[in-house]
Amino acid sequence: MIKKLGILMVSLAVISGCQNNTMEPEEINPEIDVCEVCNMGIAHEHFAAEVVTKDGDIHKFDDIGCMEEFLQLETSLKEEGAAKKYVRDMETGEWLELEEAYHAYHPEFWTPMANGVVSFKDKKSAEKYVDEQEMGEILDYQALLKHEWSWER
Amino acid sequence: MERLNTLSRNLRTPVKILFYTILFLTMGSTDAFAEEIKVEKGKSIQAAIDRSNSGDIIGIGPGIYKENLVIDKQISLIGEEGAIVDGGAKGSVITITASNTLIEGLTIQNSGTQQEDSGIYVKKAHDNGIKKNKLKNVHNGIYIANSNNNQLIENSITSYESHFSKRGNGIHLFKGDGHLLRGNEISDVQDGIYFDFTRSVQVAENHILHSRYGMHFMFSEQISAEKNKVEKNITGLMVMDSSGIEFIGNRVSDHFHFRGFGILIYETKDVLVEGNEILRNSTGLSLENGANTLTSKNIIAANQVGLEFRGENQQNIFSENNFIGNVVQSKISGGNMRLDNGEKGNYWDDYGSFDLSGDGIGEEAYKAGSLYDRLLQTQPYWQFYFESPSIKLWTKAESLFPSFGTANVYDAMPLVEPAVKLQETKQESKRPLLPGAAGALFILFSLLVIVKGRKLL
Repeated sequence: MIKKLGILMVSLAVISGCQNNTMEPEEINPEIDVCEVCNMGIAHEHFAAEVVTKDGDIHKFDDIGCMEEFLQLETSLKEEGAAKKYVRDMETGEWLELEEAYHAYHPEFWTPMANGVVSFKDKKSAEKYVDEQEMGEILDYQALLKHEWSWER
Repeated sequence: MERLNTLSRNLRTPVKILFYTILFLTMGSTDAFAEEIKVEKGKSIQAAIDRSNSGDIIGIGPGIYKENLVIDKQISLIGEEGAIVDGGAKGSVITITASNTLIEGLTIQNSGTQQEDSGIYVKKAHDNGIKKNKLKNVHNGIYIANSNNNQLIENSITSYESHFSKRGNGIHLFKGDGHLLRGNEISDVQDGIYFDFTRSVQVAENHILHSRYGMHFMFSEQISAEKNKVEKNITGLMVMDSSGIEFIGNRVSDHFHFRGFGILIYETKDVLVEGNEILRNSTGLSLENGANTLTSKNIIAANQVGLEFRGENQQNIFSENNFIGNVVQSKISGGNMRLDNGEKGNYWDDYGSFDLSGDGIGEEAYKAGSLYDRLLQTQPYWQFYFESPSIKLWTKAESLFPSFGTANVYDAMPLVEPAVKLQETKQESKRPLLPGAAGALFILFSLLVIVKGRKLL
């Protein structure tokens, strides 16, 4: 009996361990969470971004620009599989991996840190946003890598 | 005497001429153009605006007017007591696109909940006056975009019942310059006053409470805030990526959220913080990557942490501040820094040395921060060991052997007397008798124990 219990415990531990390894993003609590880079409280939840590392550390940001600034400093996270980067669809708040998201960019677009990059789950919604605002361009992941952020100028 | 008489006689004629010209001009303009229109309950204000001519004054009688107004010509809207404009929870209640208008004495309520929906939305319009209005249940109170020289005087603004992340700002200034904000009362919004890429704004005697940030500066320049009262928000004054900011004589108090700050200055240059009272905050004044700041004659008292430095701060001068009764006077994880201006330092109530020369300045330097502060930066959970014997020993050892590698932050000219007097003298003690009585009882009991105990032995 004790042996069975032991196995159960071990398997539970393994399962919970596995769950950590999926590196899922964590929900934002606007009452508590602040951006790790700029200290601002994350009030505009749909603009939030997260980096989840292999070790289970979760870094939260109020703006995709702050996440990029953080990643430039944390060189250890650049390795393959060391961390997953998440942004949210601005309309639905759905969490997306950075590589799969599309972004609309114009310096005049409002974002918490005025970086002007707004993320969407697919190209269509990004295009719709650009049409509505009557300005801006679409960035996919490759274009985002080349994007020149405000602090780089 | 005679000379004076002739002088006044000589002056008299030009003065007379001037007087009559002014009279003529003012009479002429009011009679010829301006008209007073009265709107009564049940009628439409917008219809009256559409009928009016530039320069007209529209008086609004008491009653609820359910409409969204657009003001596109130079007119004045004057509300009588009880005049309420209700936006019906969609869009902005009043949108101003004309310059030189006046809105006074109205109650403005129920805007939509989109990002830019407001009680009053000013769009590319200049020199408008918004006075003594009461805005409630609105997303943003007053939103001013791409406009210059507007005056916002003595309005009161509250948002709706909701978490602050769902609300807008009290006053949002987006681009433009030259505004004056005086005597406004702002509560229960996201950020009290949000400076978004604005310049040259004067903010005086406002009262901001129960919001996320009292004032929030983003990418703004040349803003002077004087004699404002900012209290019970999450953070009082949040300054980011800005320059040329002046805080003079403000009272920033009671920001006890666990991530709350009295004043947080981040990546900002040319800041003056003078004569403010920074009382009862989680962290009083925090400086991260700030440059060229002058902090003097402030009272920084009763905070959990009085002063915090993070990152690289350059050319910052601290002098004649009073640090009184903070749980931790300073928490420093940044680089080296002097805490005096070369002539005078600050008053630290935990300073342990003496003034032997009688010049009001202590003979030994005051050392701020410790190795523990640095450890906390990387290991926040070590806060648990705050004031524990081991940390105390460590801090002591470090002060004896300063080679442990902490940042060298010290005040070489510490004052032995407070530099500024604390103005808040009245303490909020509703029942002053009770603690006194409790103390007396306790003393009696201890005396009893001592006397009786001795006899028993």
